[in-house]
Amino acid sequence: MTDSNQWLDSLPAPNGILESVQRRGREALTQTKAPNNSFENWRLTDIRKLENLLTLPVYKKENSIENDFPLKVVRPPSDGIRLILNHNSDPLERVNLPKGLSSLTKLELEQNLGRTNAKCLFQEEWPVALNYASASNLLALKVTGKAPPIELILSSNPNQFNPTRVIFVLEENAELDLLEIAMGSEESAHSHLIEIHLSQESKVQHGMIAIGKKDSHLLCNIAIQQDIRSEYSLTCVQTGWSLARLEPHVVQVNGNAKTNIKGLQLSKKDQQLTTNTQIRFDGPDGMIEQLQKSAATDKSQCIFNGVIEVPRIAQRSNASQLSRNLLLSKKARIDTKPELRIIADDVRCAHGATVSQLKEDELFYLRSRGISSAKAADLLLKGFYQEILSLLPVEADRWDVLNTLLDS
Amino acid sequence: MDKQNPVQEIVSQPYKYGFVTEIETEKIEKGLNEDVIRLISKKKKEPEFLLNFRLKAFNQWLKMKEPNWAELGYPQINYQDIIYYAAPKASEKKESLNEVDPKLLETFEKLGIPLSEQKRLTNVAVDAVFDSVSIATTYKEKLAEHGVIFCSISEAVNEYPEIIEKYIGTVVPINDNFFASLNSAVFSDGSFVYVPKGVNCPMDLSSYFRINSGDTGQFERTLIIAEEASQVSYLEGCTAPMFDTNTLHAAVVELVALEEASIKYSTVQNWYSGNEDGVGGIYNFVTKRGQCRGKKSKISWSQVETGSAITWKYPSCVLQGEESIGEFYSVALTNNHQKADTGTKMIHVGAKSRSTIVSKGISAGQSANSYRGLVQMGPKAYGARNYSQCDSMLIGDKASANTYPYIRSQQPQSSIEHEASTCRISEEQLFYLQSRGIGFEEAISMMVSGFCRDVFNQLPMEFAAEADKLLALKLEGSVG
Repeated sequence: MTDSNQWLDSLPAPNGILESVQRRGREALTQTKAPNNSFENWRLTDIRKLENLLTLPVYKKENSIENDFPLKVVRPPSDGIRLILNHNSDPLERVNLPKGLSSLTKLELEQNLGRTNAKCLFQEEWPVALNYASASNLLALKVTGKAPPIELILSSNPNQFNPTRVIFVLEENAELDLLEIAMGSEESAHSHLIEIHLSQESKVQHGMIAIGKKDSHLLCNIAIQQDIRSEYSLTCVQTGWSLARLEPHVVQVNGNAKTNIKGLQLSKKDQQLTTNTQIRFDGPDGMIEQLQKSAATDKSQCIFNGVIEVPRIAQRSNASQLSRNLLLSKKARIDTKPELRIIADDVRCAHGATVSQLKEDELFYLRSRGISSAKAADLLLKGFYQEILSLLPVEADRWDVLNTLLDS
Repeated sequence: MDKQNPVQEIVSQPYKYGFVTEIETEKIEKGLNEDVIRLISKKKKEPEFLLNFRLKAFNQWLKMKEPNWAELGYPQINYQDIIYYAAPKASEKKESLNEVDPKLLETFEKLGIPLSEQKRLTNVAVDAVFDSVSIATTYKEKLAEHGVIFCSISEAVNEYPEIIEKYIGTVVPINDNFFASLNSAVFSDGSFVYVPKGVNCPMDLSSYFRINSGDTGQFERTLIIAEEASQVSYLEGCTAPMFDTNTLHAAVVELVALEEASIKYSTVQNWYSGNEDGVGGIYNFVTKRGQCRGKKSKISWSQVETGSAITWKYPSCVLQGEESIGEFYSVALTNNHQKADTGTKMIHVGAKSRSTIVSKGISAGQSANSYRGLVQMGPKAYGARNYSQCDSMLIGDKASANTYPYIRSQQPQSSIEHEASTCRISEEQLFYLQSRGIGFEEAISMMVSGFCRDVFNQLPMEFAAEADKLLALKLEGSVG
């Protein structure tokens, strides 16, 4: 792996609100070893593609969201608010925040910046250090009561490295519907880091649609801290990236919270899509339900690593994890590793994994009703995707995600 | 209660009833270098190809690093502090069972090991009829009738060098992993089985009955070859506790099944696991692998792992032949401070190959029990299928149960199913059994035995019954 020094040298001098974070990130990058295949977590990653990522410069350049995106941009939601996040400008410029949403004060920001990351043990991670080193803007919001839905568009410029960072802090009993749409441009890299802190009894419906384009790269770290009786549900869809790595880490700090994670990844051509999830119960009575689906075509590869940790304190936890994979071409590859680490004895933990192609008998059933085999396969795939897509926050319906997926 | 003193006392005194008083006639200096390997080879009167094999392995080993990915956390092993060759040891015969550690006899009793067997295990002189040597001789004659070769690998090296040369190191290459390389360089002895074409081996072969087995030492090497359409079942180890002064055991087992051949390999491992505080015990780092080379060949591993301070083994099947079958049935029980990191690799190469994995892990005390397995479908494994099931049972809230299943598929026309669950012995079940007059510990053992049933059913009869009792014995005092 080429070292990151050259890339670091190309960065602008630390400045702005995240100046100290930038310094820390750069320091960390010079000290930590860049990932290679001997690291368990990077065992299957195409290191060549990762190297490409570091050849892209970080600089300020105007961009607009109409910028030839892989997904047709629809009108902003009528009852919610759309924020556009890019590396260059303050996302809250010219925006009136509706009731329930407010910017974090300087003090609150100091208290919360990086706190959830630390809880999720993200501090040491290389992609997080990249984000720390380069992000100069951030969106930091506090949610009180029932906030209107937020649509967050993460845009990236072609031929450059685009870092974005977001923090949400939910007060007690707050509720939030958040839909993030990350769109890759050609020859681009996007580093996205989001921290969400759910206070007691708060609720978050989090959707993440990440759609890339030719030679686009995505490194996305999602850090979630859940206090008791909070509910967090995440639905991720990713496709189209040359290399994408989605890493949601969830910590139930005192247990007794509900987490629901659904993921769908569809890889084509020579793409490599990865989802690494890590869920830890630091208290009793926690609940997690996870379903990860992958489909790989052409010469592509889908990777899933899911860790569920149940330490001694986490009695009466209830965890279930299922990884379902479709291998749709002879040269594609599926790698999955659902992992359980359990110490508490009074728990219910189960996981399962399947890898196969479309079921012969299901295809036969449809064909025997006069549906052509191509159409039958399409129908089955649609069903496979729809199970996850239907769980995205409602605002996602306006985006034509399903057809984008099916267009393969 | 002040536990410290009695424990210290036990630790500091030498084991009173040692099985073997070593009267070593010959041994070489500690440490490992090329000269030591040449010396080992010379003493064993090995042909040149084997010396070259050992030297090549040694040179590989020098370049390798000791793996630590399993995070087993054992103290560093000083490889220069090991004696790599000792001539066969003579052992002191005892006059009667009265001289044997009564605790050990009690264990035998609980396991239901027959008296003659007890005597053999404790090195008490036995009468001529039951002498293991004579039993073995009778077996050997019967096997010879069928053309089955069953002897120690040292013997085989001299008597059947062409077979050894053809197969050794072909399943587990000398550079496979750190411990396999070390074994290839310095292996002491082990079993060799050759079943000719079309022969159904007339009896279960057991490492027990091999004559001249002596002390196979730390670096055991086993090679089993089943020619076309032959069948063999091999049993390794025994339920009786085995004590050994060596800390590190790095064995290599290679199985080769040709067309339509079938090999069943069963292991019961009960090496010394250290005391209740996790002091002492054996490190059991084993590389076991079988290749189903021919069409419709089959390799089945079954294992009951209850001993050793650390067990690190993944009996694997490389399913090269079309329609070949791989099976892995395992029960791993850890108690006190034991660590077991075990599982299997099913590597599907051939079309329509099938594999089944059933793994049951029971963790008690402060032990760590991990299932780590790989199921891989290669690009040519058209129509291949795998089914895996890994269940864990936790006893107490200090033990850990981990599952690391690696699944990789490159063949769309194949299917993999994996499921895992975790449970514990529920109060309700216990209450039900106890209310019917079944004692607490017996109730626990019944439930553990039910939990392991899928695996026990795969064990040869005599092993199955003993294994059941062995688990009960191992769990004694750990519950409640």
